Amino acid sequence: MLRFVTARLLNMVFVLVGVSLLTFLVGHLAPGDPILILLGNNKSPELYAQIKAAYGLDRPFVEQFAKFAWRALHGDFGLSYVQQGQAVTDILARGVPVSLQIGGLALLCTLAVAVPLGTIAAVRSNTWFDNLIVSIALALYAVPNFILAPLLLSVDIALYRRGLPSLPVAGWGTPAHLVLPVLVYSLGSSAYLVRLTRNSVLEVLREDYVRTARAKGLSNRAVNARHVVRNSLIPIVTYVGPSVAFLVSGSFVIEYMFAIPGIGYLAVQSLYQRDFPVVQGITVSLAAAVVVMNLITDISYAILDPRVRYG
Amino acid sequence: MLRRIARSPKALWSLVALGGIVAAAIFGPSFWNATPTFGDFGNIMAFPSPEHPLGTDSLGRDTLARLLTGLRVTLVVALFVEVINVALGVTVGLLAAYYGGVIDQLLSRVTDLLFAFPGLLFAILIAGVFGPAVSETYGGMGRLMLTTGALALIGWPMMARYVRGMVLSLKSSQFAEAASAMGAGDAYIMRNVLLRNAVGMVAVTATLDISGVIISEATLSLLGLGIQQPAASLGLMINDARSYIGTNFTQVLFPGLVIVALVLVFSFLGDGLRDVLDPKSR
Repeated sequence: MLRFVTARLLNMVFVLVGVSLLTFLVGHLAPGDPILILLGNNKSPELYAQIKAAYGLDRPFVEQFAKFAWRALHGDFGLSYVQQGQAVTDILARGVPVSLQIGGLALLCTLAVAVPLGTIAAVRSNTWFDNLIVSIALALYAVPNFILAPLLLSVDIALYRRGLPSLPVAGWGTPAHLVLPVLVYSLGSSAYLVRLTRNSVLEVLREDYVRTARAKGLSNRAVNARHVVRNSLIPIVTYVGPSVAFLVSGSFVIEYMFAIPGIGYLAVQSLYQRDFPVVQGITVSLAAAVVVMNLITDISYAILDPRVRYG
Repeated sequence: MLRRIARSPKALWSLVALGGIVAAAIFGPSFWNATPTFGDFGNIMAFPSPEHPLGTDSLGRDTLARLLTGLRVTLVVALFVEVINVALGVTVGLLAAYYGGVIDQLLSRVTDLLFAFPGLLFAILIAGVFGPAVSETYGGMGRLMLTTGALALIGWPMMARYVRGMVLSLKSSQFAEAASAMGAGDAYIMRNVLLRNAVGMVAVTATLDISGVIISEATLSLLGLGIQQPAASLGLMINDARSYIGTNFTQVLFPGLVIVALVLVFSFLGDGLRDVLDPKSR
């Protein structure tokens, strides 16, 4: 286990350096001069040189990258090009909690709905209930969130016009703002997780140890609770682990559509404005989150499934 | 092969539906003669009418005409992305699994790296950073190629990993051992033994993957980082129409229905092909 974790940690360092290099390279190769954007109408050569030096853009590429990586290790991604005088870290610190709230709530809703429904569907497979759940999940799976969101909004607007209780269509601040994005988010991910849970439970139901448990006379309820559900958790952990990292990124589309000032919205806005330090900061920190969550997922396998041993 | 497809209703019907959609994309624009970029300013955000069977968008452009050309864009992007994914994925996956060693190490490092970017992030990055300059220099066609390239860039490692796993298990099978015991060379084994046995499942995986590519392309275009105006793309149409969702929901509904239909058709086709091609399920 220790050797496995060490090897994975080394690999993590490699991946993070690689991601930073790739991201930095993309920003470096990007067409257009950020300094010219910064200067606006004042295009004096002296000021240009001064600002270029202040951002360290006059140094060779390797030195720039080394500096970037060293600072990034200390949680410092430099200054934003566009929001002048603001540190990228501060901008990130405003976006992350917003995305975490949306994504965390959505993940909780997804788990609370999808895991029980998927389990019941599998235990009662080929009944009307199972067929209903599977059809709904397939239908929701085929409707991407960018179609679901506007259609729900049109219902919401129709309610508003008729003077019925309705929800805010976009923005951030009150609990009511959370409802629609979390709903769209969790409907989409539930569609996937229901199918995953159902397949996983169906597979466990066919295992020998489940037959043994039934043969020794345990009640259906006890077999399901003690043997089936616990063992079918493993694929669900595979889903939840990485998705914790994904939910920080928010769904880019959901944050964009509902104008929610989270990380996903920020990333897209910064790309429009060619604010590369912010883009780099977001990319590298999200990659770090993904890599860490993957490691935690792998370790939790060993805890959940005694057959898994890392040599 | 064709006879087996004909016997699987799922594969057959999704193939027929796909044929219909492709025919609409190829021949539709010549049957429905409205210009997809012409703005009928007297009819903005119109509901369906005899003159505009699916209504018009916020600039009064005919939605049916834009939908048909947008469908072309979607299918072309999806096809090219998937061709690149399969070509690169099969080559790299096959070589990595067969030779192991450095190539295998290199593949797993590259995939580790690309999988560290959550979701579409890397494609968003590439398309967003280079997009404006590409549009300026190479126009709409350049932007289409950039979108394709960005999506293929994040797509192929998945295919490579899949092929690698499959080839590894085929390599240890008895028929592969038999071939090498009879003195078959590396090239012969790879081409005639491993590839021939893998090709069916690669086709299934690629077909199922196309649904994802279609959604990704629509997402990129929706975020304003993929296909640009005045060209039409299903994602772009949804993004334009969603600001007017309160007055006319049909303009989100129609391109949305086309995307849902495409996703379903490719999912069913993939499932159907699996029933036909997977040796285990026969």
